[in-house]
Amino acid sequence: MGRWRYFLQRVLLSIPVLFLVITFLFVVLRLGPVDPVAARLGPQASGADVAAVEERLGLNDPLWEQYIRFASDLLQFEGQSWVVQADRGIPAVLADTAPPTLWLGFWAILLPLFIGLPLGFYAGLNPNSSRDYISSGLGILWLAMPNFWLASMLAAFLASTASGGPLGFEWHTFGPNIQSVQGTPSLNFVTLSSIGPVPFPTGLDLGGFARDTKKILPPAIVLGSASMAAEQRIGRTAVLENINSKYVETAKAKGVKGRKIITKHVFRNALIPLIPVITNEAFLLIGGSVIVEELFTINGLGRTFFQSIIQGDLPLAGSLLFVFTLLLIVLNIFQDLLYTIIDPRVGYDQ
Amino acid sequence: MSETVTPESDVAPLRKRFLDNPRPALLWLVGALALLVLELGRILGWVKALGTGVKFAVMTTAALPKWVGGNVESAVADTGVLPGRLEPVGELLGSGVVTVLVFGFVVSVFLSLSERRVTRLLRPNMPSYRRLTVERALLTGILTVVSALMVLTPIGGLVESMIGFLTAVLDNISNQAPTLTSREIIPNQGYRSPDGSGWEGTFLGLSPGQSWGVRVAVVYAYAFGWLVWLWRGYNVFREQYRAADWTPRDDTLDRFSGHLWGLFGLVVVFSFVVLALWAPAISTVPLEERSNEPYRFEHQFLDDEDIEGNPLTDGSGDLETVRHGQANLYSVSKGKGQNVGLFSYDDFDRFSPLGTTPSGGDMMTQLAHGARTSLIIALTGLGLATLIALVMALLTAYYKGLVDLLTVVTSDTIVSIPLFLLVMMLSVIFSGSDHPLVTPLDGGLLLAMVFAFAFWPGLWRAIRGPTLQIAEEDWIDAAKSYGQTPSKIMRKHMAPYVVSYTMIYASLLVGSTIIVTAALSFLGLGISEPTPEWGRLISSGQDYITTDSWHVSTVSGIMIVFVVTGFNALGDGIRDAIDPESDIGDGDAAAAGGGG
Repeated sequence: MGRWRYFLQRVLLSIPVLFLVITFLFVVLRLGPVDPVAARLGPQASGADVAAVEERLGLNDPLWEQYIRFASDLLQFEGQSWVVQADRGIPAVLADTAPPTLWLGFWAILLPLFIGLPLGFYAGLNPNSSRDYISSGLGILWLAMPNFWLASMLAAFLASTASGGPLGFEWHTFGPNIQSVQGTPSLNFVTLSSIGPVPFPTGLDLGGFARDTKKILPPAIVLGSASMAAEQRIGRTAVLENINSKYVETAKAKGVKGRKIITKHVFRNALIPLIPVITNEAFLLIGGSVIVEELFTINGLGRTFFQSIIQGDLPLAGSLLFVFTLLLIVLNIFQDLLYTIIDPRVGYDQ
Repeated sequence: MSETVTPESDVAPLRKRFLDNPRPALLWLVGALALLVLELGRILGWVKALGTGVKFAVMTTAALPKWVGGNVESAVADTGVLPGRLEPVGELLGSGVVTVLVFGFVVSVFLSLSERRVTRLLRPNMPSYRRLTVERALLTGILTVVSALMVLTPIGGLVESMIGFLTAVLDNISNQAPTLTSREIIPNQGYRSPDGSGWEGTFLGLSPGQSWGVRVAVVYAYAFGWLVWLWRGYNVFREQYRAADWTPRDDTLDRFSGHLWGLFGLVVVFSFVVLALWAPAISTVPLEERSNEPYRFEHQFLDDEDIEGNPLTDGSGDLETVRHGQANLYSVSKGKGQNVGLFSYDDFDRFSPLGTTPSGGDMMTQLAHGARTSLIIALTGLGLATLIALVMALLTAYYKGLVDLLTVVTSDTIVSIPLFLLVMMLSVIFSGSDHPLVTPLDGGLLLAMVFAFAFWPGLWRAIRGPTLQIAEEDWIDAAKSYGQTPSKIMRKHMAPYVVSYTMIYASLLVGSTIIVTAALSFLGLGISEPTPEWGRLISSGQDYITTDSWHVSTVSGIMIVFVVTGFNALGDGIRDAIDPESDIGDGDAAAAGGGG
């Protein structure tokens, strides 16, 4: 029972953490130096307006009432945006901005898996060869390249292909035609209809799908760059560890063929340490989405958060940060669950 | 047992070993002094800068009582009891309590460092714990009385003017002292002589580019000299004075010197630190002259072109004077023909080794001073984070129980908020206020404190396991049964085993702080103008990446990649050298910068 108890402890511990996050946000946003009235009306607001807004936002209520309202707003995803999408409800804003971010995140996880992992496995299978050095060197460089720099270089480079560049073709018209590297993918390639409350896809527009994929590829490569490097590195180490282990030798002694040893024994066991890496990617993706979405002008969660924070839109910024944090807490619990199921060693020492 | 000599007795103390054989140490010391004198002016300048930082910290702490007192005063006023009478009392009470607390803390730290007790002379038989309490109370009282005298009587003004006088003397010395790499000794701002024979005002009449190169070479040679000399000093100590023939650290150094990747990292990090420390010498034109106050400083050049820009060949050009600000307008790098590229001179014969920025500043100057900004922020932020993490780790490992649980929940809370967004939110919200912490480095100090807040939980988590293990060791039990105080046990018997761990983890985070700082200033947050920052350089050149002025964003970006790779490599090297089997920080993308 040890490990399940450990898992339960982790889940229970996340409840006070959630409330502490809410309290922290309240303290920083409400009691911090940002003046909500000035953010709402601008610095030159007059007395009567200020009083009216203070009354409407409930700033004159006792602090504990404000805190309870703040917490319940966050937990129920209620409240209104002040500036960025003025007077729209938070759920509506979330519904608009989440799909592009999810689409970006999906590709940013998928691409590293299909580029970083094979590179790492390849390097691990040919250790200390020149191929290994090239692959590992690429990984090290990927890791050190800041997303914002990579994004601006890539965006500028792809935009420059319009007037002929080193690629020899124009990126915008190559394959599915897109107007610009910048902009939000439309994501209307799926036609949805619903039976009762459950939506299900009824049709798929392949052209639209290709367009949206092509549009999201450059930002997704940038966003996935750090994870790609991490996966390359871990894939290499994992293969190296497994290829020198006893059971591989046993399999060799039994006369199992080389290819089969690698696919059946080495790769499978090398995948275990990759679970935390892939879940950890969520951290990198959420932070990176702000930069990448801002640079490729994708109206997703990250860009909206950035806009709301620089324009003093406190409810929206607070709600978005809360959503991100909630997502991370859930992902952490999910990761613990995976560990509890897959790796029996977890928690026994506790 | 009585015949065997205890290990302590056959090893002479270091002082004695030195007195027996002083020659090698003195020789080394003479060399070190010679190196010091060569750059005395600059080194005194660093001391002065450090002093300014300490002074700022002291002043901020000194402002604390007044601030709290003010808050208490307004809170008392809010209650509405006895209007006009209670407020001053509240103010005095609030500021007084905080003053005493601050002094009490300082005194406790001071007393825990030293074994000397004044009261031992008066009452030798007092138990040590009571003596400590008495001494703390006594010293705190004295400090409070002295500071009250300083604030309330003219003595304060007297002391202040004395400090001012001492600072002025130090200033004078540091300005007069010889500095090998100064602009006076190796000048590079000159003009072509009208007779066409070469350059005037530069070092040995070389071109500005060459004399700048000479100065940079001297800077790096000098810094490398220090490196070699320090290494030599360690070897002298190891061969002549160290009691043991071999220590585990020798193996660590051996392993590191065979670690090519780590050595590469060391070289890069060394170059970066030198770039940051000697930024004023490596910049072609002082930052304040060319970029901060460009209309206050003038530049001389030879105007030998006619209005169409064709050179006058008859040698009829004359010397002209222009303000840097005006000259900058003609030396911008904005693509479409307006460009001053790598290793080139602008129209006013000002040399720019890495080209100019889109606003006409010099890239090399901006990069060098930007390196300084990054280094200060990384060191301050990670230093604070390491300190917090270390103290928390010692406390939680020693006391366990509720303290541990509370720290777990707190750190889980901070860690579960995405790092980059947390730093972004805090820096935006606090930079909006006119708090005194926002002014230094145009928000740099604030950013460092935000980093400390955001990074300590990760560091604490990383060293929590090892610290818990050490708290279980027998020698801790032994110390407890001797009646040693908890603070002493933590400091003497636990801390030495985890400090190096903490520092290694912290060094793995330097890359992230550099990337996150740059990413924030790229977005226009964090550090504002005029403090130079690499991220702001990249963002200023973003529109010109595909034009002639590609260098602005590209060069600064490559610098970041290079430096971050260097720190990662050095971290790998140190980790492998200390413990080849360990996997500290493996795989969690230490320097990915949390998405920056």
